[in-house]
Amino acid sequence: MKRTPEIFDKIEGYLNNTLSENEYADFEKEITANPELAQEVEKHRALHTILGDTDTLAFKEKLVKISTRIKEEEVSNNTPSNRFANYWKIAASIAIILGLGTFFWYTSTSTHDKTKELYLAYYQPFPIEDVTRGNTDTTLQHIMQHYSNKSYDSVVTALRGYANLANQEPLQLYLGNSYLNTNQEKKALSLFENIPNTSTYNEVATWYIALTHLKLNQPKKTIRLLKKIISYDGTYKTKASNLLKRLSE
Amino acid sequence: MNNTEDQKILKGIVAGDEGVLTKFYKDNIKYIRPYILRNSGCEEDVEDVFQDGLVFIYQKLKEDTIKIEPSSSFRSYFFGVCKNIWRNRLRKNKRLVVTEDMSDDEEMIDPEVLTDIEDRDREHVYRTHFMNLSDTCREVLNLLFLGKSMKEISETTGYTEGYTRKKKFECKESLLQMIEKDPIYQELHQDSEKE
Repeated sequence: MKRTPEIFDKIEGYLNNTLSENEYADFEKEITANPELAQEVEKHRALHTILGDTDTLAFKEKLVKISTRIKEEEVSNNTPSNRFANYWKIAASIAIILGLGTFFWYTSTSTHDKTKELYLAYYQPFPIEDVTRGNTDTTLQHIMQHYSNKSYDSVVTALRGYANLANQEPLQLYLGNSYLNTNQEKKALSLFENIPNTSTYNEVATWYIALTHLKLNQPKKTIRLLKKIISYDGTYKTKASNLLKRLSE
Repeated sequence: MNNTEDQKILKGIVAGDEGVLTKFYKDNIKYIRPYILRNSGCEEDVEDVFQDGLVFIYQKLKEDTIKIEPSSSFRSYFFGVCKNIWRNRLRKNKRLVVTEDMSDDEEMIDPEVLTDIEDRDREHVYRTHFMNLSDTCREVLNLLFLGKSMKEISETTGYTEGYTRKKKFECKESLLQMIEKDPIYQELHQDSEKE
Protein backbone atom coordinates (compact mmCIF):
# COMPACT_ATOMS: atom_id res chain seq x y z
CA MET A 1 0.00 0.00 0.00
CA LYS A 2 1.39 3.37 -0.98
CA ARG A 3 1.86 5.61 2.01
CA THR A 4 0.65 9.18 1.59
CA PRO A 5 0.21 12.16 3.96
CA GLU A 6 -3.58 11.87 3.46
CA ILE A 7 -3.71 8.22 4.61
CA PHE A 8 -1.53 9.05 7.60
CA ASP A 9 -3.85 11.94 8.57
CA LYS A 10 -6.87 9.67 8.32
CA ILE A 11 -5.29 6.90 10.40
CA GLU A 12 -4.17 9.40 13.03
CA GLY A 13 -7.65 10.94 13.16
CA TYR A 14 -9.07 7.44 13.61
CA LEU A 15 -6.60 6.50 16.36
CA ASN A 16 -6.89 9.82 18.18
CA ASN A 17 -10.66 9.82 17.80
CA THR A 18 -10.84 13.18 16.07
CA LEU A 19 -12.85 12.07 13.00
CA SER A 20 -16.51 13.00 12.77
CA GLU A 21 -19.03 10.22 13.43
CA ASN A 22 -19.62 9.68 9.71
CA GLU A 23 -15.94 9.77 8.81
CA TYR A 24 -15.22 7.29 11.57
CA ALA A 25 -17.90 4.86 10.36
CA ASP A 26 -16.75 5.15 6.73
CA PHE A 27 -13.14 4.55 7.69
CA GLU A 28 -14.08 1.47 9.72
CA LYS A 29 -15.85 0.08 6.65
CA GLU A 30 -12.75 0.78 4.57
CA ILE A 31 -10.58 -1.03 7.11
CA THR A 32 -12.85 -4.08 7.05
CA ALA A 33 -12.84 -4.18 3.26
CA ASN A 34 -9.11 -3.61 2.85
CA PRO A 35 -6.78 -5.96 4.79
CA GLU A 36 -3.73 -3.96 3.72
CA LEU A 37 -5.20 -0.82 5.24
CA ALA A 38 -6.12 -2.78 8.38
CA GLN A 39 -2.49 -3.90 8.69
CA GLU A 40 -1.26 -0.34 8.21
CA VAL A 41 -3.63 0.92 10.93
CA GLU A 42 -2.27 -1.72 13.31
CA LYS A 43 1.30 -0.61 12.57
CA HIS A 44 0.38 2.98 13.40
CA ARG A 45 -1.48 1.86 16.50
CA ALA A 46 1.59 0.00 17.77
CA LEU A 47 3.75 3.04 17.05
CA HIS A 48 1.41 5.38 18.94
CA THR A 49 0.99 2.99 21.88
CA ILE A 50 4.65 2.10 22.36
CA LEU A 51 6.11 5.53 21.71
CA GLY A 52 3.21 7.27 23.46
CA ASP A 53 4.52 5.68 26.68
CA THR A 54 6.61 8.75 27.33
CA ASP A 55 7.69 7.59 30.81
CA THR A 56 9.48 4.56 29.41
CA LEU A 57 10.90 6.54 26.53
CA ALA A 58 12.18 9.20 28.93
CA PHE A 59 13.67 6.45 31.11
CA LYS A 60 15.49 4.95 28.12
CA GLU A 61 16.74 8.41 27.09
CA LYS A 62 17.97 8.98 30.64
CA LEU A 63 19.96 5.74 30.45
CA VAL A 64 21.55 6.81 27.17
CA LYS A 65 22.57 10.12 28.78
CA ILE A 66 23.96 8.33 31.83
CA SER A 67 25.97 6.03 29.58
CA THR A 68 27.40 9.02 27.67
CA ARG A 69 28.27 10.79 30.93
CA ILE A 70 30.03 7.70 32.28
CA LYS A 71 32.08 7.44 29.08
CA GLU A 72 32.96 11.13 29.32
CA GLU A 73 34.02 10.70 32.94
CA GLU A 74 36.22 7.79 31.96
CA VAL A 75 37.86 9.96 29.31
CA SER A 76 38.30 12.74 31.83
CA ASN A 77 39.85 10.41 34.41
CA ASN A 78 42.30 9.21 31.82
CA THR A 79 43.40 12.64 30.58
CA PRO A 80 46.99 13.61 31.28
CA SER A 81 46.02 16.46 33.64
CA ASN A 82 44.15 14.13 35.97
CA ARG A 83 46.83 11.52 35.83
CA PHE A 84 49.48 14.19 36.13
CA ALA A 85 51.17 12.99 39.32
CA ASN A 86 51.60 9.38 38.30
CA TYR A 87 52.25 10.26 34.73
CA TRP A 88 54.96 12.72 35.65
CA LYS A 89 56.68 10.27 37.97
CA ILE A 90 56.67 7.57 35.32
CA ALA A 91 57.69 9.91 32.53
CA ALA A 92 60.49 11.43 34.60
CA SER A 93 61.83 8.02 35.56
CA ILE A 94 61.77 6.83 31.99
CA ALA A 95 63.35 10.05 30.78
CA ILE A 96 66.16 9.69 33.30
CA ILE A 97 66.77 6.06 32.46
CA LEU A 98 66.30 6.05 28.74
CA GLY A 99 66.72 9.66 27.72
CA LEU A 100 64.46 12.37 26.37
CA GLY A 101 63.58 10.48 23.18
CA THR A 102 61.47 8.08 25.16
CA PHE A 103 59.87 10.95 27.07
CA PHE A 104 58.59 12.52 23.85
CA TRP A 105 57.36 9.16 22.64
CA TYR A 106 55.37 8.78 25.86
CA THR A 107 53.85 12.25 25.54
CA SER A 108 52.71 11.53 22.00
CA THR A 109 51.16 8.16 22.97
CA SER A 110 49.31 9.86 25.79
CA THR A 111 47.90 12.55 23.49
CA HIS A 112 46.77 9.86 21.11
CA ASP A 113 44.91 8.08 23.93
CA LYS A 114 43.15 11.33 24.80
CA THR A 115 42.06 12.14 21.24
CA LYS A 116 40.95 8.54 20.72
CA GLU A 117 38.86 8.59 23.89
CA LEU A 118 37.37 12.00 23.09
CA TYR A 119 36.48 10.77 19.62
CA LEU A 120 34.65 7.79 21.12
CA ALA A 121 32.85 10.05 23.58
CA TYR A 122 31.71 12.63 21.03
CA TYR A 123 31.20 10.71 17.81
CA GLN A 124 27.67 9.72 16.89
CA PRO A 125 26.63 8.72 13.37
CA PHE A 126 24.71 11.34 11.39
CA PRO A 127 21.08 10.63 12.33
CA ILE A 128 18.70 9.10 9.85
CA GLU A 129 16.19 11.66 8.81
CA ASP A 130 13.80 11.93 5.92
CA VAL A 131 16.19 10.76 3.24
CA THR A 132 13.75 8.10 2.08
CA ARG A 133 11.12 10.72 1.25
CA GLY A 134 9.26 10.11 -1.98
CA ASN A 135 9.35 6.50 -0.96
CA THR A 136 9.77 5.09 -4.45
CA ASP A 137 13.45 4.34 -4.33
CA THR A 138 13.64 0.92 -2.72
CA THR A 139 17.41 0.74 -3.27
CA LEU A 140 17.85 3.80 -1.13
CA GLN A 141 15.55 2.40 1.53
CA HIS A 142 17.68 -0.74 1.71
CA ILE A 143 20.84 1.32 1.95
CA MET A 144 19.41 3.35 4.84
CA GLN A 145 18.36 0.18 6.57
CA HIS A 146 21.95 -1.04 6.42
CA TYR A 147 23.02 2.33 7.85
CA SER A 148 20.50 2.03 10.66
CA ASN A 149 21.75 -1.50 11.42
CA LYS A 150 25.33 -0.20 11.38
CA SER A 151 26.28 -2.48 8.47
CA TYR A 152 28.64 0.23 7.24
CA ASP A 153 30.52 -1.97 4.76
CA SER A 154 27.26 -2.62 2.92
CA VAL A 155 26.43 1.12 2.93
CA VAL A 156 29.84 1.94 1.44
CA THR A 157 29.44 -0.65 -1.31
CA ALA A 158 25.92 0.49 -2.18
CA LEU A 159 26.28 4.27 -1.87
CA ARG A 160 29.61 4.45 -3.70
CA GLY A 161 27.86 3.44 -6.89
CA TYR A 162 24.63 5.31 -6.21
CA ALA A 163 23.69 7.43 -9.21
CA ASN A 164 22.31 10.45 -7.34
CA LEU A 165 25.06 10.71 -4.76
CA ALA A 166 26.59 13.88 -6.18
CA ASN A 167 23.29 15.80 -5.90
CA GLN A 168 22.34 14.73 -2.40
CA GLU A 169 24.36 16.09 0.47
CA PRO A 170 22.72 13.98 3.20
CA LEU A 171 23.75 10.86 1.27
CA GLN A 172 27.32 12.17 1.14
CA LEU A 173 27.17 12.54 4.92
CA TYR A 174 25.88 8.98 5.33
CA LEU A 175 28.64 7.66 3.07
CA GLY A 176 31.25 9.77 4.87
CA ASN A 177 30.08 8.40 8.22
CA SER A 178 30.23 4.86 6.83
CA TYR A 179 33.81 5.46 5.66
CA LEU A 180 34.61 6.77 9.12
CA ASN A 181 33.23 3.59 10.68
CA THR A 182 35.24 1.38 8.34
CA ASN A 183 38.55 3.14 8.99
CA GLN A 184 38.69 4.96 5.63
CA GLU A 185 39.22 8.42 7.08
CA LYS A 186 40.75 10.03 3.99
CA LYS A 187 37.73 9.10 1.90
CA ALA A 188 35.45 10.40 4.65
CA LEU A 189 37.33 13.72 4.73
CA SER A 190 37.14 14.16 1.00
CA LEU A 191 33.34 13.70 1.06
CA PHE A 192 32.73 16.00 4.03
CA GLU A 193 35.02 18.69 2.58
CA ASN A 194 33.12 18.52 -0.68
CA ILE A 195 29.99 20.00 0.93
CA PRO A 196 30.05 23.72 0.06
CA ASN A 197 29.99 26.62 2.54
CA THR A 198 26.64 27.72 1.18
CA SER A 199 24.96 24.38 1.97
CA THR A 200 22.66 23.94 4.99
CA TYR A 201 24.70 20.80 5.69
CA ASN A 202 27.99 22.69 5.91
CA GLU A 203 27.90 23.03 9.70
CA VAL A 204 27.33 19.32 10.29
CA ALA A 205 29.94 18.45 7.64
CA THR A 206 32.45 20.69 9.45
CA TRP A 207 31.63 18.90 12.72
CA TYR A 208 32.43 15.54 11.10
CA ILE A 209 35.63 16.92 9.55
CA ALA A 210 36.67 18.04 13.05
CA LEU A 211 35.89 14.56 14.44
CA THR A 212 37.74 12.84 11.59
CA HIS A 213 40.87 14.85 12.42
CA LEU A 214 40.37 13.92 16.05
CA LYS A 215 40.26 10.25 15.08
CA LEU A 216 43.44 10.76 13.09
CA ASN A 217 45.08 12.32 16.18
CA GLN A 218 45.34 15.77 14.59
CA PRO A 219 43.96 17.85 17.48
CA LYS A 220 45.23 21.22 16.14
CA LYS A 221 43.10 20.83 13.01
CA THR A 222 40.16 19.77 15.17
CA ILE A 223 40.53 22.84 17.39
CA ARG A 224 40.60 25.19 14.39
CA LEU A 225 37.40 23.67 13.02
CA LEU A 226 35.66 23.69 16.39
CA LYS A 227 36.33 27.43 16.68
CA LYS A 228 34.78 27.89 13.24
CA ILE A 229 31.66 25.96 14.34
CA ILE A 230 31.38 28.00 17.56
CA SER A 231 31.58 31.30 15.65
CA TYR A 232 28.90 30.03 13.24
CA ASP A 233 26.62 29.81 16.31
CA GLY A 234 24.36 27.01 15.04
CA THR A 235 23.13 23.60 16.20
CA TYR A 236 26.60 22.20 16.91
CA LYS A 237 27.85 25.16 18.96
CA THR A 238 27.36 23.51 22.38
CA LYS A 239 28.93 20.23 21.35
CA ALA A 240 31.84 22.06 19.74
CA SER A 241 32.38 24.25 22.84
CA ASN A 242 32.39 21.21 25.13
CA LEU A 243 34.81 19.30 22.96
CA LEU A 244 37.07 22.33 22.60
CA LYS A 245 37.13 22.71 26.39
CA ARG A 246 38.07 19.06 26.82
CA LEU A 247 40.77 19.25 24.18
CA SER A 248 42.28 22.33 25.81
CA GLU A 249 42.48 20.73 29.29
CA MET B 1 14.39 -10.73 48.11
CA ASN B 2 14.73 -8.73 51.32
CA ASN B 3 18.07 -7.12 50.90
CA THR B 4 17.87 -3.43 51.83
CA GLU B 5 20.39 -2.50 49.18
CA ASP B 6 18.29 -4.25 46.53
CA GLN B 7 15.17 -2.43 47.72
CA LYS B 8 17.01 0.87 47.44
CA ILE B 9 18.06 0.06 43.86
CA LEU B 10 14.51 -0.94 42.88
CA LYS B 11 13.07 2.25 44.35
CA GLY B 12 15.72 4.27 42.52
CA ILE B 13 14.93 2.58 39.20
CA VAL B 14 11.19 3.17 39.40
CA ALA B 15 11.75 6.80 40.44
CA GLY B 16 14.30 7.29 37.65
CA ASP B 17 16.82 8.44 40.28
CA GLU B 18 19.93 9.41 38.30
CA GLY B 19 22.29 8.82 41.23
CA VAL B 20 21.08 5.26 41.81
CA LEU B 21 20.95 4.49 38.08
CA THR B 22 24.45 5.86 37.47
CA LYS B 23 25.91 3.82 40.34
CA PHE B 24 24.10 0.68 39.22
CA TYR B 25 25.29 1.26 35.65
CA LYS B 26 28.91 1.75 36.65
CA ASP B 27 28.94 -1.18 39.07
CA ASN B 28 27.26 -3.75 36.85
CA ILE B 29 27.87 -3.24 33.14
CA LYS B 30 31.25 -4.93 33.47
CA TYR B 31 29.53 -8.20 34.40
CA ILE B 32 27.34 -8.22 31.29
CA ARG B 33 30.06 -7.13 28.85
CA PRO B 34 32.14 -10.37 28.66
CA TYR B 35 29.05 -12.50 28.10
CA ILE B 36 27.85 -10.45 25.12
CA LEU B 37 31.28 -9.90 23.61
CA ARG B 38 31.95 -13.65 23.73
CA ASN B 39 28.71 -14.29 21.88
CA SER B 40 28.86 -12.28 18.66
CA GLY B 41 28.11 -8.95 20.32
CA CYS B 42 29.96 -5.65 20.10
CA GLU B 43 30.39 -2.84 22.63
CA GLU B 44 27.23 -1.15 21.32
CA ASP B 45 25.24 -4.35 21.92
CA VAL B 46 26.51 -4.40 25.51
CA GLU B 47 25.09 -0.92 26.11
CA ASP B 48 21.81 -1.73 24.31
CA VAL B 49 21.19 -4.93 26.23
CA PHE B 50 22.12 -3.42 29.58
CA GLN B 51 19.80 -0.45 28.98
CA ASP B 52 16.95 -2.60 27.67
CA GLY B 53 17.35 -4.87 30.70
CA LEU B 54 16.85 -1.83 32.92
CA VAL B 55 13.89 -0.65 30.81
CA PHE B 56 12.33 -4.09 31.24
CA ILE B 57 12.77 -3.89 35.04
CA TYR B 58 11.42 -0.32 35.06
CA GLN B 59 8.26 -1.38 33.21
CA LYS B 60 7.73 -4.42 35.45
CA LEU B 61 8.14 -2.23 38.53
CA LYS B 62 5.67 0.34 37.20
CA GLU B 63 3.16 -2.41 36.50
CA ASP B 64 3.97 -4.00 39.87
CA THR B 65 4.46 -7.38 38.19
CA ILE B 66 8.07 -8.07 39.11
CA LYS B 67 8.59 -11.36 40.96
CA ILE B 68 12.01 -12.01 42.40
CA GLU B 69 12.49 -15.18 44.44
CA PRO B 70 13.30 -14.47 48.12
CA SER B 71 16.45 -16.57 47.75
CA SER B 72 17.62 -14.60 44.73
CA SER B 73 19.31 -11.20 44.61
CA PHE B 74 18.12 -8.43 42.32
CA ARG B 75 21.50 -8.41 40.62
CA SER B 76 21.31 -12.07 39.58
CA TYR B 77 17.72 -11.53 38.41
CA PHE B 78 18.86 -8.57 36.34
CA PHE B 79 21.78 -10.50 34.81
CA GLY B 80 19.31 -13.25 33.91
CA VAL B 81 17.09 -10.70 32.16
CA CYS B 82 20.04 -9.23 30.20
CA LYS B 83 21.35 -12.63 29.16
CA ASN B 84 17.92 -13.67 27.97
CA ILE B 85 17.43 -10.45 26.02
CA TRP B 86 20.69 -11.17 24.23
CA ARG B 87 19.83 -14.86 23.65
CA ASN B 88 16.52 -13.76 22.18
CA ARG B 89 18.19 -11.28 19.82
CA LEU B 90 20.75 -13.83 18.69
CA ARG B 91 17.95 -16.21 17.84
CA LYS B 92 16.02 -13.58 15.92
CA ASN B 93 18.93 -12.06 14.10
CA LYS B 94 20.15 -14.90 11.97
CA ARG B 95 23.22 -12.96 10.89
CA LEU B 96 24.65 -13.49 14.33
CA VAL B 97 26.37 -16.68 15.37
CA VAL B 98 26.30 -18.11 18.88
CA THR B 99 29.77 -19.13 19.90
CA GLU B 100 29.05 -20.23 23.42
CA ASP B 101 26.71 -22.84 24.82
CA MET B 102 24.16 -20.75 26.70
CA SER B 103 21.66 -23.48 27.48
CA ASP B 104 22.25 -23.32 31.25
CA ASP B 105 21.28 -19.68 31.45
CA GLU B 106 17.66 -20.35 30.69
CA GLU B 107 17.32 -21.85 34.16
CA MET B 108 18.13 -18.50 35.68
CA ILE B 109 14.74 -17.06 34.99
CA ASP B 110 11.04 -17.82 35.29
CA PRO B 111 9.56 -19.09 31.96
CA GLU B 112 6.82 -16.45 32.24
CA VAL B 113 9.46 -13.73 32.30
CA LEU B 114 11.13 -15.29 29.25
CA THR B 115 7.90 -14.93 27.28
CA ASP B 116 7.55 -11.39 28.55
CA ILE B 117 11.08 -10.52 27.41
CA GLU B 118 10.31 -11.88 23.95
CA ASP B 119 7.04 -9.93 23.73
CA ARG B 120 8.68 -6.68 24.75
CA ASP B 121 11.53 -6.98 22.31
CA ARG B 122 9.26 -5.42 19.71
CA GLU B 123 9.08 -2.32 21.89
CA HIS B 124 12.87 -2.12 22.03
CA VAL B 125 12.98 -2.11 18.21
CA TYR B 126 10.52 0.81 18.10
CA ARG B 127 12.37 2.84 20.72
CA THR B 128 15.82 2.22 19.25
CA HIS B 129 14.82 3.40 15.78
CA PHE B 130 12.90 6.33 17.22
CA MET B 131 15.98 7.47 19.11
CA ASN B 132 18.02 7.29 15.90
CA LEU B 133 15.83 9.98 14.33
CA SER B 134 16.90 13.60 14.20
CA ASP B 135 15.91 15.99 17.02
CA THR B 136 13.28 17.64 14.79
CA CYS B 137 11.65 14.32 13.93
CA ARG B 138 11.62 13.21 17.57
CA GLU B 139 10.09 16.50 18.69
CA VAL B 140 7.28 16.42 16.12
CA LEU B 141 6.49 12.71 16.57
CA ASN B 142 6.62 12.91 20.37
CA LEU B 143 3.84 15.48 20.28
CA LEU B 144 1.89 13.48 17.71
CA PHE B 145 2.02 10.34 19.87
CA LEU B 146 0.70 12.38 22.77
CA GLY B 147 -2.39 13.00 20.65
CA LYS B 148 -1.64 16.63 19.73
CA SER B 149 -3.13 18.11 16.56
CA MET B 150 -1.01 19.65 13.76
CA LYS B 151 -2.06 23.10 15.01
CA GLU B 152 -0.93 22.32 18.57
CA ILE B 153 2.33 20.80 17.34
CA SER B 154 3.08 23.83 15.19
CA GLU B 155 2.32 26.17 18.12
CA THR B 156 4.69 24.21 20.39
CA THR B 157 7.51 23.85 17.89
CA GLY B 158 7.19 27.20 16.14
CA TYR B 159 7.08 25.54 12.70
CA THR B 160 4.36 26.44 10.22
CA GLU B 161 1.43 24.04 10.05
CA GLY B 162 2.36 23.06 6.50
CA TYR B 163 5.96 22.27 7.44
CA THR B 164 4.81 20.38 10.55
CA ARG B 165 2.48 18.18 8.52
CA LYS B 166 5.17 17.50 5.89
CA LYS B 167 7.76 16.74 8.55
CA LYS B 168 5.37 14.54 10.50
CA PHE B 169 4.70 12.42 7.39
CA GLU B 170 8.36 12.13 6.37
CA CYS B 171 9.57 11.27 9.87
CA LYS B 172 6.82 8.76 10.57
CA GLU B 173 7.20 7.08 7.20
CA SER B 174 10.94 6.85 7.66
CA LEU B 175 10.49 5.41 11.17
CA LEU B 176 8.00 2.79 9.95
CA GLN B 177 10.37 1.74 7.19
CA MET B 178 13.29 1.37 9.62
CA ILE B 179 11.19 -0.71 11.97
CA GLU B 180 9.82 -2.92 9.20
CA LYS B 181 13.29 -3.68 7.90
CA ASP B 182 14.69 -4.56 11.32
CA PRO B 183 15.45 -8.31 11.43
CA ILE B 184 14.05 -8.62 14.96
CA TYR B 185 10.77 -6.97 13.91
CA GLN B 186 10.52 -9.15 10.80
CA GLU B 187 11.02 -12.30 12.85
CA LEU B 188 8.46 -11.21 15.44
CA HIS B 189 6.04 -10.27 12.67
CA GLN B 190 6.39 -13.71 11.06
CA ASP B 191 5.87 -15.39 14.45
CA SER B 192 2.68 -13.41 15.08
CA GLU B 193 1.36 -14.31 11.63
CA LYS B 194 1.94 -18.02 12.33
CA GLU B 195 -0.04 -17.86 15.58
